[in-house]
Amino acid sequence: MRRVMIFTVLALLIVPSMLYARGQSEPEGPEMVTLTIAGRDGAYGDAMQLAADAYSAQNPNVSFEILKLSGSSLLEQTVVDLGSGTGTYDLLMIDDPNAPRMMQAGWLADLDKLYAARGESPDPDLIANVLQLGRHPYGPDGTLYALPHVGNVELFAYRRDLAEKYGHSSAQTWSDVLAAAKDIAAGEPDVTPILFRGSKGNPIVTGFLPIYWAFGAEILVDGRPAFDTPQALNALNFFLELAAYAPEGVSMYQSAQVRDALYSGAAAIVIEVWPGWIGQLENPEVSSVVGKVSVANHPGQVEASSSLIGVWLLGIPKDSENIDTAFDFLQFITSAEVQRDIAMETGIPPTRVSVHQDAALIDKYPWYPPQLAGLQGGVARPRTDYWGEIETAFGGFLQQALIGDLTAEEALAEIQKKVEEIVR
Amino acid sequence: MSNSTMHRKGPLFWILLVVVVLVVLAPIYWIVSTSVKTPTENILPTPTLFPHKFTLSNYENVIRAGIFTNFFNSLFVAAVSTTISLSISFLAAYALCRHKFPFRLNNIFLIWVLAVKILPPIVLAIPLYTLFTRAGLLNSLWGLVIVYQVYTLPYCLWIIFGFVKALPIEFEQAATIDGAGHLKILTSIVLPLTSGGIIATSIFSIIIAWNEFLFALLFIRTPSRLTLPLKIVSFIGEYETLWGELMAIGLLATLPILLFSGYVYKRLTHGFALGLR
Amino acid sequence: MTVLQRVRRDSFYYIIFAPAFLVIVFLTIYPVLSVLINSLFDYNFLSADKELIGFENFVKIIGEAIFQRAFLNTVIFSLVATTAEATLGLILALLFYGRFAGKRATMTAVIFPMMLSTMVICAIWKTMYHHDIGVLNYLIGVLGMEPVGWLTNKRVALFSVMIVDIWQWTPFAFIIIQAGLNSVPPELFEAAGIDGAGYFRTLVHVTIPVLFSQILMVFLLRTIDTFRVFDKVYALTQGGPGNATETVSYFVYREGFSFFNIGRASAASVYVLLVISIIAGAYIRRILKQEV
Repeated sequence: MRRVMIFTVLALLIVPSMLYARGQSEPEGPEMVTLTIAGRDGAYGDAMQLAADAYSAQNPNVSFEILKLSGSSLLEQTVVDLGSGTGTYDLLMIDDPNAPRMMQAGWLADLDKLYAARGESPDPDLIANVLQLGRHPYGPDGTLYALPHVGNVELFAYRRDLAEKYGHSSAQTWSDVLAAAKDIAAGEPDVTPILFRGSKGNPIVTGFLPIYWAFGAEILVDGRPAFDTPQALNALNFFLELAAYAPEGVSMYQSAQVRDALYSGAAAIVIEVWPGWIGQLENPEVSSVVGKVSVANHPGQVEASSSLIGVWLLGIPKDSENIDTAFDFLQFITSAEVQRDIAMETGIPPTRVSVHQDAALIDKYPWYPPQLAGLQGGVARPRTDYWGEIETAFGGFLQQALIGDLTAEEALAEIQKKVEEIVR
Repeated sequence: MSNSTMHRKGPLFWILLVVVVLVVLAPIYWIVSTSVKTPTENILPTPTLFPHKFTLSNYENVIRAGIFTNFFNSLFVAAVSTTISLSISFLAAYALCRHKFPFRLNNIFLIWVLAVKILPPIVLAIPLYTLFTRAGLLNSLWGLVIVYQVYTLPYCLWIIFGFVKALPIEFEQAATIDGAGHLKILTSIVLPLTSGGIIATSIFSIIIAWNEFLFALLFIRTPSRLTLPLKIVSFIGEYETLWGELMAIGLLATLPILLFSGYVYKRLTHGFALGLR
Repeated sequence: MTVLQRVRRDSFYYIIFAPAFLVIVFLTIYPVLSVLINSLFDYNFLSADKELIGFENFVKIIGEAIFQRAFLNTVIFSLVATTAEATLGLILALLFYGRFAGKRATMTAVIFPMMLSTMVICAIWKTMYHHDIGVLNYLIGVLGMEPVGWLTNKRVALFSVMIVDIWQWTPFAFIIIQAGLNSVPPELFEAAGIDGAGYFRTLVHVTIPVLFSQILMVFLLRTIDTFRVFDKVYALTQGGPGNATETVSYFVYREGFSFFNIGRASAASVYVLLVISIIAGAYIRRILKQEV
């Protein structure tokens, strides 16, 4: 009886599955080209899908397999695969801080050559400051390995209604921001005056960098860490002072929580937002603060405002078997027309000057002018092979300072020591 | 254990039972209620204990996102890898219990199997990726079935080993005297007597294979072959988590395991009434 | 027994052992060897430079404060979570022994957490733990108490992660112990009852010894799994606040998959392997020694 039952269970499990697996064969004609793209999830995925569908409509022989992954999953997938040299992917989305290592490893196809073969060159409409992030060595003369696809740049958001109410509408410096936070804290018990991502590693570093730079501090000077300067100490002390007006649980906040707090009106001043987060800010179905939030470039302090650029690039693995088709699609997805459609439909920020000047887009996304200014004048994270390690050390000790485990001096000394080890 | 607890349950029992069920169910209640709230309600600064506006749109969105393919992929992978694990580990467990292999292979094998489980999957992933690339098992559900043996086999082997070991050898000796062969003993004595353990094990094995994430992420690239866990994480975005959809798909994803274990348990408790007499 | 019979008997055992043996050998020899070998190299997957450095990785890693902290956290996590799961599992199994109305429904409810995807579990606990808008602090506030920094207080965070693991995996202990309990003839307990032994005397002197091998098995398998705790840390705290919830697996993940320092990741894994072998070895010896 028991035996019969076990066999029944096994049969129940296995028979339908087998039948299913047999039905899994794929129809593939010989002239068809399938581009396999490793990309991001969420709105990025929607954007990629939109471009792929449009491209397939024009080129019926090209179909797409698009992997939509989270940032860390994408990195794991692509590095493991590129390192194994299997040529699985035809196009990759690359976060710009990871780009130097991937270009250094020689895994990507030389786009300059592909342009030359077509007798073309990169369109000058692509923002020059951002285009060079796809070059290696970094700078206007490096070899081009990737094109900028998503024009992300760090921006600053605040509740305009509250700023006006407390007479802080003209905040120019970080000190003004602190003063505003104090007044809002005193007058609005239900609103969080200051918010940023306090999570360990990348989030807290990204949240802190605009302040760090505005106070004149640097991460690397001539390849050596520069965390032991008075500027760095001033910046961190100021950050900790400002963080006193952040919620108790800020060390756990990641972008999703920050975004939710912004949309629900719970946060007054958000010291870092990215265009990709806030696409729905003016959509009353999701946002309770339509028309109440200003998105701007960061305040300055001893230095003028400098925005942190964090773009997503698109590159072609050199082991891909469909390099030419992939390159053609790359041209398509970075064209002005497609970038405009993507921006309109998904809120993904473009990397072209002309698309930033589109009236309909500015109407929908009022922060396009500061976004363009940020992309044209902003700074990327240091071009180094060790950014991952540096950011982890920086972010780890920074958070220890935030939760009071270390003083500002101790934290910076630890960061300096660790980063020296890393870049040695 | 006194007679009173076995046949009549006292008030203390019922109080304890209610407490246990409440503790277990509280987070599950939260999952369910999140899955029927609207997106705006789910990010309200003050959490609402009961949904203000009941909606099934999250479930609708999840189903419209085409989870059925992923669902069947997971079903295939979980069912086949569990079946393989159970069969081969039942056989191996019996061999390891009843036969002494040379070179202390019995103990070495049992420990080796665990050692593999101990290593963080991350360090195994890269060499396995290379191995599977060469074997042409990448991007295939059969490849996943094979790689999942790294997780399911040690579980099955050790648990079934424990049950076989606890079996009094006298039954088998008696059968041998009656002239029964090895195969006959295995199928008509050992299998029925350990079936309780095997069935319990099957639940774990299915759960492990059903929820595995890392290897599915690395080994599968064709969207139509992705398993359910990969679909689930797609609702946890970096910038926004679709709370309602995430909880809805999380609940839907447990349905097959729930049905399977419900079916198995019905048989199991029924069978235990007959006991091992 | 003649020689012929002995050979026939042996071949049968070899045949039924072979499939599992071959699968494991195929899947593990190469990866495990590569972990052991890579641990001796300065090897970054991204730059493909590979330099033999002997035991330098091991020496360096063990000197790092973050690794020491991660190790300590992992040991605490593993010990507490495993003990709690085994104890609660035993209590549940005893509670569910025998028949009562609604047994199947309550049992299904109790084992439900184990079936949920870990991602979903972490997501929901994270919202419940949220300092400002989480339901736990909301309820605590209703009771008039101060909010707790479940994931943000460095003294509480590790335990909050543990609670999630205990909630998810106690059902595992419950099912195994229950399966053991059910294969014991009820007469055994009845006999003890007739002898006049009270509930707890019976529990200590009859029930627990009878269930010993199942309990040991739970300890063994849960120790191994909790020692590798990664996904919960990743999803709930990222190792923070500070280093309060750093674990060895998370350390390995960061080295291996964020920095692609395969050498260091492998060396850290070898440490895990060594320590677990010592802990698990004790259980394994007990299990293997137990003669029927």
